[in-house]
Amino acid sequence: MKRLINIVVNGEPHEVAVNPEQTLLEILREELGLTGTKKGCDQGECGACTVLVDGKPVSSCLVLAVSVNGKSIATIEGLSQNGRLHPLQEAFVQHGAIQCGFCTPGMLLAAKYLLENRPLPSEQEIKEAIAGNICRCTGYVKIIEAITAVAHSTAQ
Amino acid sequence: MHLPKFEYLEPGETSEVVSILGKYRGQCSIIAGGTDLLVAMKQRRQTPKYVISLAKVSELKQIREEAGMISIGPLATLEEVVASGPIQKKLPVLAQAAWEVGSPLLRTVATIGGNLCLDTRCRFYNQSEFWRGARPDCFKAGGVICHVTNKENTCYSTFSGDIAPALIALNAQIQLIGDGDERWLPLARFYTGVGRIPNLLAAGDNEVLTEIKVPLPADGTKGLYRKYRFRESIDFPLVGLAAILRVDPDDGICQEACLVFSGVGSRPVQAAEAENKLIGKRLNEDIIAAAAETAAGEVHPVKTDRVNPQFKKKIVKAMVREAFTELGGVKS
Repeated sequence: MKRLINIVVNGEPHEVAVNPEQTLLEILREELGLTGTKKGCDQGECGACTVLVDGKPVSSCLVLAVSVNGKSIATIEGLSQNGRLHPLQEAFVQHGAIQCGFCTPGMLLAAKYLLENRPLPSEQEIKEAIAGNICRCTGYVKIIEAITAVAHSTAQ
Repeated sequence: MHLPKFEYLEPGETSEVVSILGKYRGQCSIIAGGTDLLVAMKQRRQTPKYVISLAKVSELKQIREEAGMISIGPLATLEEVVASGPIQKKLPVLAQAAWEVGSPLLRTVATIGGNLCLDTRCRFYNQSEFWRGARPDCFKAGGVICHVTNKENTCYSTFSGDIAPALIALNAQIQLIGDGDERWLPLARFYTGVGRIPNLLAAGDNEVLTEIKVPLPADGTKGLYRKYRFRESIDFPLVGLAAILRVDPDDGICQEACLVFSGVGSRPVQAAEAENKLIGKRLNEDIIAAAAETAAGEVHPVKTDRVNPQFKKKIVKAMVREAFTELGGVKS
């Protein structure tokens, strides 16, 4: 039986009718058309489906849509504001931290959460923060450089 | 992979959870964080008709310090356990074990109670329905044969939780509430050692885990959690070790030693004989080496993952040596 849930996605309120077996990932992609959030392993191992629920990063493939009723969700589509890229997005572009791009939405959201909580993280802390996000192109070095650059430029 | 169809129930009280479990006996699964259950459901290893969410049972979420105890609600997320002041300060071994579970993305959702109730794992069982379809169902999946041992009616699937070894080493007690009764028991007794039904709640009776109580360790107790796995960032332990040590500050004699392993049996395995090799002695390299050798003899891993059991025993030995050398401050 479908249920109505109210969620705020990237600041915009939505009322969505969901089946209990639908995951948050499925409704974001299929009901709301927000296909920036990727479906990778679908088992919580790869981090391609990372979104922020009430500010915290989660694997949206392992979150039931019915369980996020009343919560606020941030996806990659909400990162740029008024047509301007988020500083993290700019840094990823500048540092070549994007290869195929499949892990990028998850990486950016995991990095956003990190910098909000630890504005000047060590390299080890950056590695730990993106531990759940797998980059199959293995471009971790540039990703870590990009996150470090944003942390340093914000700190100045 | 889509989830199978089910009905989602969100009771607001523990008593309601128990009555729903009784009403739909054997057809329900409880969901806390869901990071273990939803994968099992996607792989059709579990297809409950009713999924009971604990999200609305707010009393199950608190972490608080009481007289000589820390009480942890099973619904506390692993991230909350890691970040909790009293746990970091008084039970660092638990904070460390919680930190080692999965990835940050899972720890924001996964709960401490869910990790205690983690299903046992096996390379023939934890696979998609399609993959498993290539051979007859194994015993755990409802068939007859165990593909690891080729024997009938046995299951050697391995317990791979990180939290249970730490909590057993800390002498934690858990509360189970059922229909009209509640009971407290040592966490170690929660595990059956039976691969197919690894804990007291796995059979689907109408009981629910409602509280974890950990007595504060005596002054001077040190502990650590070590985890050996393929991928540092996310994997289940191939071997996990929670080690506790208390040494008399005056004469340097070991008063208390505890070793509990994950990943080497169908339940968390306590190496009691190895502990006895340490207790009452002044730790040195030889005594620790003897305890490590004994611990390796006390675990009986089966090849339920990609690692040879003999190799796991070597890892056990190395871990015990490292852990107690560090905890005891022994120079090697």
